[in-house]
Amino acid sequence: MEILVILLKLVKKGAEADIYLTSWNGRKSILKIRKRKEYRNQILDNRIRTLRTVREAKMISEVKSFGISTPLVYFIDQKKFEIYLQFIEGRLVRDLSNKMIIKTCEKIGKIVGTLHKNGVMHGDLTTSNFILSRNKLVILDFGLAQRTERIEDHAIDLRLFKEVLNSAHVEIVTKAWLSFLRGYGKIMGNQKKEQILSQVLVIEKRGRYASVV
Amino acid sequence: MLCLGIESTAHTFSCAVIEKKGKNGKILSDIRKIYRPPEGEGIHPREASRHHAENSPQVLSDCLEKADVKITDLDMVSYAAGPGLGPCLRIGAVVARSLASYYGIPVYPVNHALGHIELGKMLTGAKDPLVLLVSGGHTMILAFLGKKWRVFGETLDITLGQLLDQIGRHAGFASPCGPKIEELASKSSNYEPLPYVVKGNDVSFSGLFSATKQIMPKGLETACFSLQETAFSMIGEAVERALSFTGKKEFLVVGGVAANKRLSEILQSICKRHNCKFFVSPKEYAGDCGSQISWVGLLESSKKTGTKLENTFVRQSWRIDSVEIPY
Repeated sequence: MEILVILLKLVKKGAEADIYLTSWNGRKSILKIRKRKEYRNQILDNRIRTLRTVREAKMISEVKSFGISTPLVYFIDQKKFEIYLQFIEGRLVRDLSNKMIIKTCEKIGKIVGTLHKNGVMHGDLTTSNFILSRNKLVILDFGLAQRTERIEDHAIDLRLFKEVLNSAHVEIVTKAWLSFLRGYGKIMGNQKKEQILSQVLVIEKRGRYASVV
Repeated sequence: MLCLGIESTAHTFSCAVIEKKGKNGKILSDIRKIYRPPEGEGIHPREASRHHAENSPQVLSDCLEKADVKITDLDMVSYAAGPGLGPCLRIGAVVARSLASYYGIPVYPVNHALGHIELGKMLTGAKDPLVLLVSGGHTMILAFLGKKWRVFGETLDITLGQLLDQIGRHAGFASPCGPKIEELASKSSNYEPLPYVVKGNDVSFSGLFSATKQIMPKGLETACFSLQETAFSMIGEAVERALSFTGKKEFLVVGGVAANKRLSEILQSICKRHNCKFFVSPKEYAGDCGSQISWVGLLESSKKTGTKLENTFVRQSWRIDSVEIPY
Protein backbone atom coordinates (compact mmCIF):
# COMPACT_ATOMS: atom_id res chain seq x y z
CA MET A 1 0.00 0.00 0.00
CA GLU A 2 2.92 2.33 0.75
CA ILE A 3 4.13 2.32 -2.83
CA LEU A 4 0.64 2.81 -4.03
CA VAL A 5 0.16 6.01 -2.10
CA ILE A 6 3.34 7.49 -3.50
CA LEU A 7 2.21 6.81 -7.01
CA LEU A 8 -1.12 8.57 -6.57
CA LYS A 9 -1.53 11.37 -9.03
CA LEU A 10 -4.67 13.48 -9.23
CA VAL A 11 -5.94 13.40 -12.80
CA LYS A 12 -9.25 15.08 -12.46
CA LYS A 13 -11.49 16.57 -9.85
CA GLY A 14 -14.79 15.43 -11.19
CA ALA A 15 -18.19 16.54 -10.04
CA GLU A 16 -18.81 13.39 -8.13
CA ALA A 17 -15.45 11.85 -7.48
CA ASP A 18 -11.75 12.53 -7.62
CA ILE A 19 -9.87 10.53 -10.22
CA TYR A 20 -6.30 9.42 -9.55
CA LEU A 21 -3.76 7.69 -11.69
CA THR A 22 -2.14 4.87 -9.77
CA SER A 23 -1.31 1.22 -10.10
CA TRP A 24 -2.97 -1.98 -9.01
CA ASN A 25 -0.83 -5.09 -8.70
CA GLY A 26 1.62 -3.65 -11.14
CA ARG A 27 -1.00 -2.55 -13.63
CA LYS A 28 -1.69 1.06 -14.51
CA SER A 29 -4.95 1.86 -12.81
CA ILE A 30 -7.48 4.61 -12.23
CA LEU A 31 -8.61 5.13 -8.67
CA LYS A 32 -11.99 6.74 -8.31
CA ILE A 33 -12.78 8.08 -4.85
CA ARG A 34 -16.15 9.49 -3.99
CA LYS A 35 -14.99 11.91 -1.33
CA ARG A 36 -17.20 13.22 1.38
CA LYS A 37 -18.88 16.43 0.34
CA GLU A 38 -18.67 18.90 3.18
CA TYR A 39 -21.74 20.76 2.08
CA ARG A 40 -23.96 17.71 1.97
CA ASN A 41 -25.79 16.44 5.01
CA GLN A 42 -23.83 13.44 6.23
CA ILE A 43 -26.66 10.92 6.21
CA LEU A 44 -27.61 11.93 2.69
CA ASP A 45 -23.96 12.03 1.64
CA ASN A 46 -23.20 8.51 2.86
CA ARG A 47 -26.35 7.17 1.26
CA ILE A 48 -25.49 8.65 -2.12
CA ARG A 49 -21.82 7.63 -2.05
CA THR A 50 -22.49 4.05 -0.99
CA LEU A 51 -25.26 3.58 -3.51
CA ARG A 52 -23.24 4.95 -6.41
CA THR A 53 -20.02 3.15 -5.59
CA VAL A 54 -21.74 -0.20 -5.39
CA ARG A 55 -23.90 0.48 -8.39
CA GLU A 56 -21.00 1.59 -10.54
CA ALA A 57 -18.93 -1.49 -9.75
CA LYS A 58 -21.84 -3.80 -10.44
CA MET A 59 -23.04 -2.17 -13.63
CA ILE A 60 -19.65 -1.65 -15.19
CA SER A 61 -19.05 -5.41 -14.97
CA GLU A 62 -22.54 -6.44 -15.89
CA VAL A 63 -22.72 -4.53 -19.15
CA LYS A 64 -19.60 -6.31 -20.40
CA SER A 65 -21.81 -9.33 -20.98
CA PHE A 66 -23.73 -7.29 -23.59
CA GLY A 67 -20.50 -6.92 -25.55
CA ILE A 68 -19.84 -3.35 -24.47
CA SER A 69 -16.33 -2.14 -23.69
CA THR A 70 -15.90 -0.76 -20.20
CA PRO A 71 -12.86 -0.58 -17.93
CA LEU A 72 -12.19 -3.65 -15.80
CA VAL A 73 -12.94 -3.30 -12.12
CA TYR A 74 -9.84 -4.35 -10.17
CA PHE A 75 -11.02 -3.70 -6.66
CA ILE A 76 -13.72 -1.92 -4.67
CA ASP A 77 -13.58 -0.66 -1.11
CA GLN A 78 -17.13 0.10 -0.11
CA LYS A 79 -16.23 1.65 3.25
CA LYS A 80 -13.83 4.10 1.68
CA PHE A 81 -16.01 4.63 -1.39
CA GLU A 82 -13.12 3.67 -3.64
CA ILE A 83 -12.99 1.80 -6.93
CA TYR A 84 -9.84 0.73 -8.77
CA LEU A 85 -10.42 0.58 -12.50
CA GLN A 86 -8.40 -0.39 -15.52
CA PHE A 87 -6.59 2.58 -17.08
CA ILE A 88 -7.79 3.23 -20.63
CA GLU A 89 -5.43 4.97 -23.02
CA GLY A 90 -7.15 7.28 -25.46
CA ARG A 91 -8.98 10.57 -25.89
CA LEU A 92 -12.31 11.76 -24.54
CA VAL A 93 -14.88 12.08 -27.29
CA ARG A 94 -15.54 15.63 -26.09
CA ASP A 95 -12.02 16.63 -27.12
CA LEU A 96 -12.04 15.09 -30.60
CA SER A 97 -12.39 17.14 -33.78
CA ASN A 98 -15.93 18.00 -34.83
CA LYS A 99 -15.71 15.60 -37.75
CA MET A 100 -14.61 12.76 -35.50
CA ILE A 101 -17.30 13.54 -32.93
CA ILE A 102 -20.00 13.28 -35.59
CA LYS A 103 -18.58 9.96 -36.76
CA THR A 104 -18.20 8.62 -33.22
CA CYS A 105 -21.76 9.56 -32.32
CA GLU A 106 -23.03 6.67 -34.42
CA LYS A 107 -20.95 4.29 -32.30
CA ILE A 108 -22.21 5.98 -29.16
CA GLY A 109 -25.73 5.43 -30.46
CA LYS A 110 -25.01 1.74 -30.91
CA ILE A 111 -23.62 1.39 -27.41
CA VAL A 112 -26.58 3.22 -25.87
CA GLY A 113 -28.95 1.11 -27.95
CA THR A 114 -27.30 -2.04 -26.67
CA LEU A 115 -27.59 -0.87 -23.07
CA HIS A 116 -31.27 -0.02 -23.48
CA LYS A 117 -32.04 -3.22 -25.31
CA ASN A 118 -30.64 -5.08 -22.31
CA GLY A 119 -32.64 -3.00 -19.86
CA VAL A 120 -29.95 -0.65 -18.55
CA MET A 121 -29.98 3.14 -18.53
CA HIS A 122 -26.66 4.95 -18.16
CA GLY A 123 -27.94 8.08 -16.47
CA ASP A 124 -25.04 10.35 -17.38
CA LEU A 125 -24.53 10.26 -21.13
CA THR A 126 -22.09 13.02 -21.94
CA THR A 127 -19.31 13.21 -24.49
CA SER A 128 -16.78 13.16 -21.67
CA ASN A 129 -17.92 9.72 -20.56
CA PHE A 130 -16.68 8.03 -23.72
CA ILE A 131 -13.03 7.34 -24.55
CA LEU A 132 -11.90 6.56 -28.05
CA SER A 133 -9.11 4.05 -27.60
CA ARG A 134 -7.42 2.59 -30.69
CA ASN A 135 -10.64 2.68 -32.73
CA LYS A 136 -12.49 1.05 -29.89
CA LEU A 137 -15.05 3.11 -28.01
CA VAL A 138 -15.10 2.64 -24.24
CA ILE A 139 -17.93 3.87 -22.04
CA LEU A 140 -17.30 5.11 -18.49
CA ASP A 141 -18.99 6.25 -15.35
CA PHE A 142 -21.90 4.04 -14.34
CA GLY A 143 -22.55 5.78 -11.01
CA LEU A 144 -26.00 6.90 -12.12
CA ALA A 145 -26.82 3.77 -14.10
CA GLN A 146 -29.75 1.56 -13.26
CA ARG A 147 -31.70 -1.45 -14.43
CA THR A 148 -34.89 -0.26 -16.06
CA GLU A 149 -37.12 -1.21 -18.96
CA ARG A 150 -39.20 1.96 -18.77
CA ILE A 151 -39.41 3.96 -21.97
CA GLU A 152 -39.37 7.15 -19.90
CA ASP A 153 -35.95 6.24 -18.44
CA HIS A 154 -34.47 5.40 -21.80
CA ALA A 155 -35.84 8.66 -23.16
CA ILE A 156 -34.15 10.54 -20.30
CA ASP A 157 -30.81 9.13 -21.45
CA LEU A 158 -31.43 10.37 -24.97
CA ARG A 159 -32.64 13.76 -23.83
CA LEU A 160 -29.54 14.29 -21.73
CA PHE A 161 -27.26 13.42 -24.62
CA LYS A 162 -29.20 15.80 -26.84
CA GLU A 163 -28.86 18.53 -24.23
CA VAL A 164 -25.11 17.99 -24.06
CA LEU A 165 -24.78 18.24 -27.85
CA ASN A 166 -26.97 21.33 -27.78
CA SER A 167 -24.85 23.09 -25.19
CA ALA A 168 -21.29 21.86 -25.64
CA HIS A 169 -21.20 21.01 -29.34
CA VAL A 170 -23.41 23.68 -30.83
CA GLU A 171 -21.84 23.81 -34.31
CA ILE A 172 -22.45 20.14 -35.01
CA VAL A 173 -25.52 19.41 -32.94
CA THR A 174 -27.81 18.42 -35.84
CA LYS A 175 -25.33 16.18 -37.60
CA ALA A 176 -24.10 14.58 -34.39
CA TRP A 177 -27.64 13.92 -33.18
CA LEU A 178 -28.65 12.31 -36.49
CA SER A 179 -25.52 10.20 -36.42
CA PHE A 180 -26.33 9.11 -32.87
CA LEU A 181 -29.88 8.19 -33.87
CA ARG A 182 -28.64 6.21 -36.86
CA GLY A 183 -26.54 4.03 -34.57
CA TYR A 184 -29.25 3.83 -31.95
CA GLY A 185 -31.86 2.78 -34.51
CA LYS A 186 -29.61 0.05 -35.89
CA ILE A 187 -29.70 -1.69 -32.52
CA MET A 188 -33.16 -0.81 -31.25
CA GLY A 189 -35.05 -1.01 -34.52
CA ASN A 190 -36.88 1.93 -36.04
CA GLN A 191 -40.20 1.38 -34.36
CA LYS A 192 -38.75 1.31 -30.86
CA LYS A 193 -36.50 4.26 -31.69
CA GLU A 194 -39.47 6.37 -32.78
CA GLN A 195 -41.38 5.38 -29.68
CA ILE A 196 -38.56 6.54 -27.42
CA LEU A 197 -38.00 9.70 -29.46
CA SER A 198 -41.63 10.69 -29.04
CA GLN A 199 -41.19 10.22 -25.29
CA VAL A 200 -38.18 12.56 -25.47
CA LEU A 201 -40.55 15.13 -26.93
CA VAL A 202 -42.98 14.54 -24.08
CA ILE A 203 -40.19 15.19 -21.56
CA GLU A 204 -39.14 18.34 -23.39
CA LYS A 205 -42.71 19.59 -23.34
CA ARG A 206 -42.72 19.18 -19.58
CA GLY A 207 -39.80 21.61 -19.43
CA ARG A 208 -40.26 25.19 -18.37
CA TYR A 209 -41.51 27.54 -21.07
CA ALA A 210 -41.03 24.90 -23.73
CA SER A 211 -41.99 26.31 -27.09
CA VAL A 212 -43.34 22.97 -28.30
CA VAL A 213 -46.56 23.47 -26.33
CA MET B 1 -28.25 56.73 -22.34
CA LEU B 2 -31.21 56.71 -19.98
CA CYS B 3 -33.55 53.75 -20.04
CA LEU B 4 -36.76 53.06 -18.16
CA GLY B 5 -37.27 49.33 -17.54
CA ILE B 6 -40.65 47.85 -16.67
CA GLU B 7 -40.97 44.46 -14.98
CA SER B 8 -44.34 42.73 -14.55
CA THR B 9 -43.85 39.01 -15.19
CA ALA B 10 -45.29 37.66 -11.94
CA HIS B 11 -45.97 39.16 -8.50
CA THR B 12 -43.74 42.22 -8.86
CA PHE B 13 -44.54 45.41 -10.70
CA SER B 14 -41.40 47.47 -10.89
CA CYS B 15 -39.98 50.46 -12.76
CA ALA B 16 -36.32 51.40 -12.82
CA VAL B 17 -34.12 53.96 -14.52
CA ILE B 18 -30.53 53.10 -15.39
CA GLU B 19 -27.97 55.42 -16.90
CA LYS B 20 -25.42 53.77 -19.18
CA LYS B 21 -22.10 55.43 -19.90
CA GLY B 22 -19.79 53.39 -22.11
CA LYS B 23 -19.93 49.90 -20.65
CA ASN B 24 -20.98 50.97 -17.18
CA GLY B 25 -24.45 51.18 -15.81
CA LYS B 26 -25.71 53.12 -12.83
CA ILE B 27 -29.08 52.39 -11.25
CA LEU B 28 -30.73 55.76 -10.60
CA SER B 29 -33.92 54.31 -9.16
CA ASP B 30 -35.73 51.00 -8.76
CA ILE B 31 -39.24 51.10 -7.33
CA ARG B 32 -41.33 47.97 -6.69
CA LYS B 33 -44.82 47.04 -5.61
CA ILE B 34 -45.38 43.38 -4.84
CA TYR B 35 -48.72 41.59 -5.05
CA ARG B 36 -49.28 39.50 -1.91
CA PRO B 37 -51.76 36.67 -2.18
CA PRO B 38 -53.66 35.60 0.96
CA GLU B 39 -51.86 33.10 3.24
CA GLY B 40 -51.80 29.57 1.89
CA GLU B 41 -52.57 30.71 -1.65
CA GLY B 42 -50.48 31.31 -4.75
CA ILE B 43 -50.50 34.09 -7.31
CA HIS B 44 -53.84 34.53 -9.01
CA PRO B 45 -52.90 35.89 -12.44
CA ARG B 46 -55.99 38.08 -12.73
CA GLU B 47 -55.64 39.51 -9.23
CA ALA B 48 -51.92 40.09 -9.77
CA SER B 49 -52.53 41.91 -13.03
CA ARG B 50 -55.21 44.03 -11.38
CA HIS B 51 -52.69 44.89 -8.67
CA HIS B 52 -50.15 45.86 -11.34
CA ALA B 53 -52.62 47.99 -13.27
CA GLU B 54 -53.72 49.85 -10.16
CA ASN B 55 -50.18 50.47 -8.94
CA SER B 56 -48.44 51.22 -12.21
CA PRO B 57 -48.98 55.03 -12.28
CA GLN B 58 -47.68 55.43 -8.73
CA VAL B 59 -44.65 53.18 -9.24
CA LEU B 60 -43.79 54.97 -12.48
CA SER B 61 -43.98 58.45 -11.03
CA ASP B 62 -42.08 57.44 -7.86
CA CYS B 63 -39.41 55.89 -10.05
CA LEU B 64 -38.95 59.01 -12.19
CA GLU B 65 -38.98 61.27 -9.14
CA LYS B 66 -36.37 59.19 -7.31
CA ALA B 67 -34.14 59.16 -10.38
CA ASP B 68 -34.74 62.87 -10.79
CA VAL B 69 -35.55 62.59 -14.49
CA LYS B 70 -38.52 63.56 -16.62
CA ILE B 71 -40.16 61.22 -19.10
CA THR B 72 -38.88 63.44 -21.88
CA ASP B 73 -35.30 62.86 -20.68
CA LEU B 74 -35.61 59.12 -21.35
CA ASP B 75 -33.80 57.77 -24.42
CA MET B 76 -35.70 54.51 -24.45
CA VAL B 77 -38.07 52.22 -22.60
CA SER B 78 -37.87 48.44 -22.22
CA TYR B 79 -40.35 45.95 -20.80
CA ALA B 80 -40.33 42.29 -19.80
CA ALA B 81 -42.02 40.50 -22.71
CA GLY B 82 -41.76 37.02 -21.19
CA PRO B 83 -41.63 34.42 -19.89
CA GLY B 84 -44.31 35.02 -17.29
CA LEU B 85 -48.01 35.23 -16.57
CA GLY B 86 -49.93 36.54 -19.58
CA PRO B 87 -52.24 39.00 -17.82
CA CYS B 88 -49.31 40.43 -15.84
CA LEU B 89 -47.01 40.73 -18.85
CA ARG B 90 -49.66 42.67 -20.73
CA ILE B 91 -49.81 45.40 -18.07
CA GLY B 92 -46.09 46.13 -18.38
CA ALA B 93 -46.32 46.03 -22.15
CA VAL B 94 -49.25 48.44 -22.21
CA VAL B 95 -47.41 50.93 -20.00
CA ALA B 96 -44.32 50.68 -22.22
CA ARG B 97 -46.28 51.07 -25.45
CA SER B 98 -48.22 54.04 -24.10
CA LEU B 99 -45.07 55.90 -23.14
CA ALA B 100 -43.34 54.97 -26.39
CA SER B 101 -46.16 56.11 -28.64
CA TYR B 102 -47.10 59.27 -26.73
CA TYR B 103 -43.55 60.52 -26.23
CA GLY B 104 -42.02 58.96 -29.33
CA ILE B 105 -39.37 56.96 -27.44
CA PRO B 106 -37.91 53.70 -28.85
CA VAL B 107 -39.25 50.58 -27.13
CA TYR B 108 -37.48 47.22 -26.51
CA PRO B 109 -39.19 43.97 -25.48
CA VAL B 110 -36.69 41.93 -23.42
CA ASN B 111 -36.41 38.46 -21.96
CA HIS B 112 -36.91 38.40 -18.20
CA ALA B 113 -34.47 35.54 -17.51
CA LEU B 114 -31.77 37.27 -19.52
CA GLY B 115 -32.37 40.28 -17.28
CA HIS B 116 -31.50 38.30 -14.15
CA ILE B 117 -28.23 37.16 -15.71
CA GLU B 118 -27.10 40.43 -17.29
CA LEU B 119 -27.92 42.52 -14.21
CA GLY B 120 -26.12 39.96 -12.05
CA LYS B 121 -23.05 40.23 -14.29
CA MET B 122 -23.15 44.02 -14.27
CA LEU B 123 -23.46 44.30 -10.48
CA THR B 124 -20.87 41.64 -9.59
CA GLY B 125 -18.38 42.18 -12.39
CA ALA B 126 -18.43 38.52 -13.47
CA LYS B 127 -17.09 38.21 -17.05
CA ASP B 128 -17.75 34.70 -18.35
CA PRO B 129 -19.52 32.77 -15.62
CA LEU B 130 -21.43 29.56 -15.39
CA VAL B 131 -24.81 30.84 -14.21
CA LEU B 132 -27.34 29.27 -11.89
CA LEU B 133 -30.73 30.92 -12.25
CA VAL B 134 -33.03 29.93 -9.39
CA SER B 135 -36.41 31.56 -8.94
CA GLY B 136 -40.11 30.83 -8.99
CA GLY B 137 -40.05 30.53 -12.76
CA HIS B 138 -36.60 29.10 -13.43
CA THR B 139 -34.12 26.51 -12.27
CA MET B 140 -31.44 26.48 -14.92
CA ILE B 141 -27.69 26.16 -15.28
CA LEU B 142 -26.40 28.20 -18.22
CA ALA B 143 -23.23 29.25 -19.97
CA PHE B 144 -22.69 31.64 -22.86
CA LEU B 145 -21.52 30.04 -26.09
CA GLY B 146 -21.87 31.02 -29.74
CA LYS B 147 -24.16 34.06 -29.32
CA LYS B 148 -26.63 32.35 -27.03
CA TRP B 149 -27.02 31.31 -23.41
CA ARG B 150 -26.97 27.52 -23.53
CA VAL B 151 -28.69 25.35 -21.00
CA PHE B 152 -26.33 22.84 -19.37
CA GLY B 153 -28.88 21.58 -16.91
CA GLU B 154 -32.35 22.42 -15.69
CA THR B 155 -35.33 21.12 -13.78
CA LEU B 156 -37.38 18.51 -15.58
CA ASP B 157 -40.55 19.56 -13.81
CA ILE B 158 -41.14 22.22 -11.13
CA THR B 159 -38.64 24.91 -10.17
CA LEU B 160 -36.82 25.32 -6.88
CA GLY B 161 -38.89 28.41 -6.09
CA GLN B 162 -42.11 26.55 -6.83
CA LEU B 163 -41.02 23.65 -4.66
CA LEU B 164 -40.40 25.93 -1.67
CA ASP B 165 -43.55 27.97 -2.31
CA GLN B 166 -45.81 24.97 -2.70
CA ILE B 167 -44.50 23.29 0.44
CA GLY B 168 -44.88 26.59 2.26
CA ARG B 169 -48.42 27.06 1.04
CA HIS B 170 -49.23 23.51 2.04
CA ALA B 171 -48.14 24.50 5.56
CA GLY B 172 -50.27 27.62 5.35
CA PHE B 173 -47.58 30.30 4.90
CA ALA B 174 -47.89 33.39 2.74
CA SER B 175 -46.08 33.39 -0.64
CA PRO B 176 -43.24 33.78 -1.30
CA CYS B 177 -42.40 31.14 1.31
CA GLY B 178 -38.61 30.79 0.87
CA PRO B 179 -37.58 32.99 3.82
CA LYS B 180 -40.02 31.28 6.21
CA ILE B 181 -38.77 27.82 5.19
CA GLU B 182 -35.17 28.95 5.59
CA GLU B 183 -35.94 30.23 9.08
CA LEU B 184 -37.65 26.99 10.14
CA ALA B 185 -34.90 24.86 8.60
CA SER B 186 -32.22 26.69 10.57
CA LYS B 187 -33.85 25.45 13.79
CA SER B 188 -33.37 21.78 12.99
CA SER B 189 -30.55 19.40 12.19
CA ASN B 190 -32.65 16.29 12.08
CA TYR B 191 -32.44 14.78 8.61
CA GLU B 192 -35.29 12.61 7.34
CA PRO B 193 -34.45 10.70 4.14
CA LEU B 194 -36.08 12.20 1.05
CA PRO B 195 -35.79 11.28 -2.64
CA TYR B 196 -32.69 12.70 -4.29
CA VAL B 197 -33.14 12.84 -8.05
CA VAL B 198 -30.29 13.97 -10.27
CA LYS B 199 -30.49 12.82 -13.87
CA GLY B 200 -27.23 13.73 -15.51
CA ASN B 201 -27.08 17.52 -15.28
CA ASP B 202 -30.80 17.80 -14.69
CA VAL B 203 -32.85 17.63 -11.54
CA SER B 204 -36.42 16.67 -10.80
CA PHE B 205 -38.28 18.01 -7.77
CA SER B 206 -41.79 16.59 -8.13
CA GLY B 207 -41.06 13.41 -6.14
CA LEU B 208 -39.30 15.43 -3.45
CA PHE B 209 -42.36 17.66 -3.21
CA SER B 210 -44.75 14.75 -2.55
CA ALA B 211 -42.37 13.06 -0.11
CA THR B 212 -41.83 16.27 1.88
CA LYS B 213 -45.57 16.66 2.34
CA GLN B 214 -45.63 13.16 3.80
CA ILE B 215 -42.98 13.85 6.43
CA MET B 216 -44.57 17.12 7.56
CA PRO B 217 -46.37 15.40 10.48
CA LYS B 218 -42.90 14.67 11.91
CA GLY B 219 -42.46 18.37 12.50
CA LEU B 220 -42.28 21.38 10.23
CA GLU B 221 -38.72 22.24 11.18
CA THR B 222 -37.48 18.75 10.39
CA ALA B 223 -39.39 18.76 7.10
CA CYS B 224 -38.03 22.17 6.06
CA PHE B 225 -34.48 21.20 7.03
CA SER B 226 -34.62 17.90 5.16
CA LEU B 227 -36.23 19.58 2.17
CA GLN B 228 -33.57 22.28 1.93
CA GLU B 229 -30.69 19.87 2.43
CA THR B 230 -31.95 17.49 -0.24
CA ALA B 231 -33.03 20.06 -2.82
CA PHE B 232 -29.94 22.24 -2.47
CA SER B 233 -27.59 19.24 -2.59
CA MET B 234 -29.25 18.20 -5.84
CA ILE B 235 -28.72 21.66 -7.28
CA GLY B 236 -25.18 21.60 -5.91
CA GLU B 237 -24.39 18.36 -7.66
CA ALA B 238 -25.85 19.55 -10.96
CA VAL B 239 -23.74 22.71 -10.67
CA GLU B 240 -20.63 20.67 -9.92
CA ARG B 241 -21.25 18.52 -12.96
CA ALA B 242 -21.67 21.57 -15.16
CA LEU B 243 -18.56 23.26 -13.69
CA SER B 244 -16.48 20.19 -14.23
CA PHE B 245 -17.82 19.73 -17.76
CA THR B 246 -17.45 23.35 -18.91
CA GLY B 247 -14.31 24.16 -16.93
CA LYS B 248 -15.59 27.69 -16.24
CA LYS B 249 -13.61 29.67 -13.70
CA GLU B 250 -16.44 31.94 -12.60
CA PHE B 251 -19.81 31.08 -11.14
CA LEU B 252 -22.77 33.41 -10.68
CA VAL B 253 -26.03 32.70 -8.91
CA VAL B 254 -29.07 34.90 -9.63
CA GLY B 255 -32.84 34.86 -9.06
CA GLY B 256 -35.04 35.08 -6.00
CA VAL B 257 -33.78 31.89 -4.32
CA ALA B 258 -30.19 33.23 -4.57
CA ALA B 259 -31.04 35.11 -1.38
CA ASN B 260 -31.12 31.83 0.59
CA LYS B 261 -28.03 31.66 2.82
CA ARG B 262 -27.81 27.88 3.03
CA LEU B 263 -27.90 27.54 -0.75
CA SER B 264 -25.25 30.18 -1.08
CA GLU B 265 -23.06 28.41 1.49
CA ILE B 266 -23.31 25.15 -0.45
CA LEU B 267 -22.47 26.84 -3.74
CA GLN B 268 -19.52 28.67 -2.21
CA SER B 269 -18.08 25.44 -0.93
CA ILE B 270 -18.43 23.92 -4.40
CA CYS B 271 -16.66 26.85 -6.03
CA LYS B 272 -13.81 26.55 -3.58
CA ARG B 273 -13.38 22.89 -4.47
CA HIS B 274 -13.26 23.71 -8.18
CA ASN B 275 -11.06 26.80 -7.85
CA CYS B 276 -13.79 28.94 -9.18
CA LYS B 277 -14.68 32.54 -8.33
CA PHE B 278 -18.06 32.82 -6.64
CA PHE B 279 -20.46 35.67 -7.40
CA VAL B 280 -23.95 36.22 -6.09
CA SER B 281 -26.43 38.93 -7.02
CA PRO B 282 -26.82 41.47 -4.22
CA LYS B 283 -29.93 40.48 -2.25
CA GLU B 284 -31.75 43.66 -3.24
CA TYR B 285 -31.43 42.85 -6.94
CA ALA B 286 -31.60 39.04 -6.83
CA GLY B 287 -35.38 38.95 -7.16
CA ASP B 288 -37.55 40.44 -9.91
CA CYS B 289 -36.93 44.14 -10.51
CA GLY B 290 -37.13 46.83 -13.17
CA SER B 291 -33.34 47.20 -13.26
CA GLN B 292 -32.84 43.81 -14.91
CA ILE B 293 -35.19 44.83 -17.71
CA SER B 294 -33.73 48.30 -18.09
CA TRP B 295 -30.17 46.97 -18.30
CA VAL B 296 -30.91 44.40 -21.03
CA GLY B 297 -32.73 47.11 -22.96
CA LEU B 298 -29.63 49.29 -22.78
CA LEU B 299 -27.35 46.44 -23.88
CA GLU B 300 -29.61 45.67 -26.84
CA SER B 301 -29.83 49.31 -27.86
CA SER B 302 -26.09 49.31 -28.53
CA LYS B 303 -26.70 46.95 -31.46
CA LYS B 304 -30.37 47.16 -32.35
CA THR B 305 -32.95 49.86 -33.02
CA GLY B 306 -36.21 49.80 -31.10
CA THR B 307 -39.11 47.52 -32.00
CA LYS B 308 -42.01 48.89 -34.05
CA LEU B 309 -45.09 49.38 -31.90
CA GLU B 310 -47.14 46.83 -33.83
CA ASN B 311 -44.40 44.25 -33.18
CA THR B 312 -44.16 44.74 -29.43
CA PHE B 313 -45.18 41.29 -28.29
CA VAL B 314 -45.64 39.45 -25.03
CA ARG B 315 -44.84 35.73 -24.90
CA GLN B 316 -45.70 33.63 -21.85
CA SER B 317 -43.37 30.83 -22.90
CA TRP B 318 -40.14 32.36 -24.08
CA ARG B 319 -37.09 30.27 -23.35
CA ILE B 320 -33.86 32.15 -22.81
CA ASP B 321 -31.92 29.70 -24.97
CA SER B 322 -33.90 30.89 -27.99
CA VAL B 323 -32.73 34.51 -27.62
CA GLU B 324 -29.86 35.59 -29.85
CA ILE B 325 -27.45 37.96 -28.12
CA PRO B 326 -25.97 40.51 -30.52
CA TYR B 327 -23.84 42.45 -28.01
